[in-house]
Amino acid sequence: MEDLENNTTVFSTLRSLNNFISQRMEGVSGLATPVSSQSSLQMQYQQRMQLEEQAGQIHSKSQLLQVEREKMQMELSHKRARIELEKAANTNARNYEREADRNQELLTRIKQYQERETEAENKLKEQMEMNKSYKKSMETMSKKMQEKDSKLAEANETITVLKGKISELQWNIMNQEMQMTSQDSQKQELMEQLDVEKKKWQEASQQIQTLQASQSLLTEYEQKIKDLEQKLSQQEHDALIVKNMKTELARFPKMERELRQLREENAYFREMKENNGLLKEEVEGLQRKLERYEKVQAQLVTMELENEKLLGKLQSWEKLDQSTGLNIRTPDDLSRQIVALQQRELALKEQNSTFMNSARMLEKARQQLQEEILSVQSQLLDEKKKREHQEALVRRLQKRVVLLTKERDGMRAILESYDSELTPAEHSPQLSRRMREAEDMVQKLHAHNTELEAQLSQALEEVGNHKQRAEMLEVEMKVLKSQQCTAEQSTVITKEEVDTLRLKIEELEAERSRLSEENTSLEMKLEKFTLQGDYDPSRTKVLHFSMNPMSLAKQQRKEEQQQLQEECERLRELVRVLQGGGSISGNLEGVGGFQSPQEVAELKKQVESAELKNQRLKEVFQTKIQEFRKVCYTLTGYQIDITTENQYRLSSIYAEHQGDCLLFKASSSSGGKMQLLETEFSRTIRELIELHLLRQDSIPAFLSALTLDLFSRQTIA
Amino acid sequence: MKEWLYKCIVQRLVVVISSIESSEVLERWQFDIECDKTAKDDNGPREKSQKAIQDEIRSVIRQITATVTFLPLLESACAFDLLIYTDKDLAVPEKWEESGPQFIANSEEVRLRSFTTTIHKVNTSVAYKKDSVP
Repeated sequence: MEDLENNTTVFSTLRSLNNFISQRMEGVSGLATPVSSQSSLQMQYQQRMQLEEQAGQIHSKSQLLQVEREKMQMELSHKRARIELEKAANTNARNYEREADRNQELLTRIKQYQERETEAENKLKEQMEMNKSYKKSMETMSKKMQEKDSKLAEANETITVLKGKISELQWNIMNQEMQMTSQDSQKQELMEQLDVEKKKWQEASQQIQTLQASQSLLTEYEQKIKDLEQKLSQQEHDALIVKNMKTELARFPKMERELRQLREENAYFREMKENNGLLKEEVEGLQRKLERYEKVQAQLVTMELENEKLLGKLQSWEKLDQSTGLNIRTPDDLSRQIVALQQRELALKEQNSTFMNSARMLEKARQQLQEEILSVQSQLLDEKKKREHQEALVRRLQKRVVLLTKERDGMRAILESYDSELTPAEHSPQLSRRMREAEDMVQKLHAHNTELEAQLSQALEEVGNHKQRAEMLEVEMKVLKSQQCTAEQSTVITKEEVDTLRLKIEELEAERSRLSEENTSLEMKLEKFTLQGDYDPSRTKVLHFSMNPMSLAKQQRKEEQQQLQEECERLRELVRVLQGGGSISGNLEGVGGFQSPQEVAELKKQVESAELKNQRLKEVFQTKIQEFRKVCYTLTGYQIDITTENQYRLSSIYAEHQGDCLLFKASSSSGGKMQLLETEFSRTIRELIELHLLRQDSIPAFLSALTLDLFSRQTIA
Repeated sequence: MKEWLYKCIVQRLVVVISSIESSEVLERWQFDIECDKTAKDDNGPREKSQKAIQDEIRSVIRQITATVTFLPLLESACAFDLLIYTDKDLAVPEKWEESGPQFIANSEEVRLRSFTTTIHKVNTSVAYKKDSVP
């Protein structure tokens, strides 16, 4: 493009040059005037030279340009060729690469094919082997096949056999089918017979049904017969009953009569019963009274008897003082005497008790002494026994001593004998034997002795114990005997005492039971009373606080009551005062009820202030009204007074006489329309009335005309 | 009061509830105190634990609150008074004065539980006015 641009610039420059040249040529041609020929020719020549130079330059430039163009084209072609070569090279390279790739691919394929070949060969081998194996197996299989063929043959034989059998069976089947058919035919025959039989059965059943129906009819008839027979019997019964009833009915009027009589008697008896009852009650009352009176009588009698007895007793008591001589006049003296006697008795009893106590003490001492005696005696016995023991021991010892001395003497004698014997002869072994024997005998004897002595001692001890016991018993016997003696003396006396004591005991027990019952009842009462709050005034007293809530409450209540009463009275006075008093009472009564004085004072103040305001307003209104009226009078010349409700009296300032006035009446309540009423004065001014009121119908004109008229009259007059 | 209890002078404590207007006794709560006079300073503290005593007192109070079921309603305004039954020879202190026993005329009595501290035994009972309309 640069080439092209260069070319375009070249062309443009060429064109401009040509243009210039053409212009210059024209200019030059135009300037072809001889006036400035030389200079201009030179100029033109220079210009041409320049132009030719320029053209030559341009030509050279164009050649250059062409050369350059060609160069460029050559370069371009070179480049193109190079590019093409490069392309070709690239393509070749690519082809080469492709070829290389293809080679590699082919190589790989070859390898693969080789591998496959090897594999195929392997497979071939394997398959060959397998073939062999298959062949072997085939052989085995063929063998088997042969066997199987043999078997097959056998089987075929069996098949044939079986086929034979089958044929036989089929023949059998045929036979059986034949039989079946025959049996079917038989069955059909039987079925036909069955049908026949069924029909017969149906007929029979129908007959049975008819028979049953007839039987049921029969039974029904029989039942009807029975019913009828029952009815018959019932009717016979009824007939009998009717006959009886008739007889009874015949008795009916008699019965009615009897009934009436019985009813009357019943009523009568009831009355009588009531009367009887009343009478019985009276009788019972009277009997009770009788009994009471009899009891009273008996009581009277007993009382009289008692009275006599008591009088006798009294007399005896009164005689006592004479008989006993103890100055007894009154029962008090008696009681005093009795008290003295009782006191003496008490003293004696005390003495008795003390004596008894001392007696008991003495007895106790005696018993103790006896026991001591017993103990001492037992000790004595023990001592005796011990002494005997000792004496026995002593005797035994003496005996032993004697024995021992005897033994000793014996032994001495033996020894002497042995000694005497030893010297003559040597019988030592025999002697020693004998000695031993003797010693044994001696020991045995000793042991026997000791045993015997022990037995003896035991026996003696037992004997001693027995003796002791016997003596103890004797002593006790003596004691008991002595006691018995003393007891025997008293038993005779005590029997009587025992009887009396028993009686006393019984009486005391009866009294005790009675007293215990009384005690329980009293305790119940006491309990009840204590629950109710009873107390023993002699031992207890009841305290309570002076300032206790009850009294406080009562006081409060009293105070409240008083307060309320005072208030009540105050209010009543107020009410009276207010009712007698002024207008405020109405408000207060209307308010109703009691108001506190503060409120009342406030209200009063308010009322006063309101009244003051009212008064002030009234005064102000009065003054204002008077002012206004005066102003109206002076301005209009008329004094307007209201005489009655709707009537207004006008009196002129220029009136000739005092009583000259006009009366107007308001026809409407608002006072819009006014009518003139007849007065003495109005009669004098009839013309004016006609003119202004009747014709012109204007009251202000009339009034003003009237004032003018009067004014004129005044001034003239 | 504590002194009097200590000296075993108080025999009975009565709370009387009566109507203000009519001064009529409506309810009477009575606590009888039986004092063991031998228990003075000589013996040691008694065997009963305070807890046991409080349990007994609690049961008594529960019973008292349960009496609301059968006690008749008190419609009118009432006030109460406390009466103490003491020995006759006790000196009346300043603010106290003697009074009557304030019985109820037509009364129903109900005995409630008692509790004991081994020195004092307190029996509770309530008497109320039988209703005219049953």
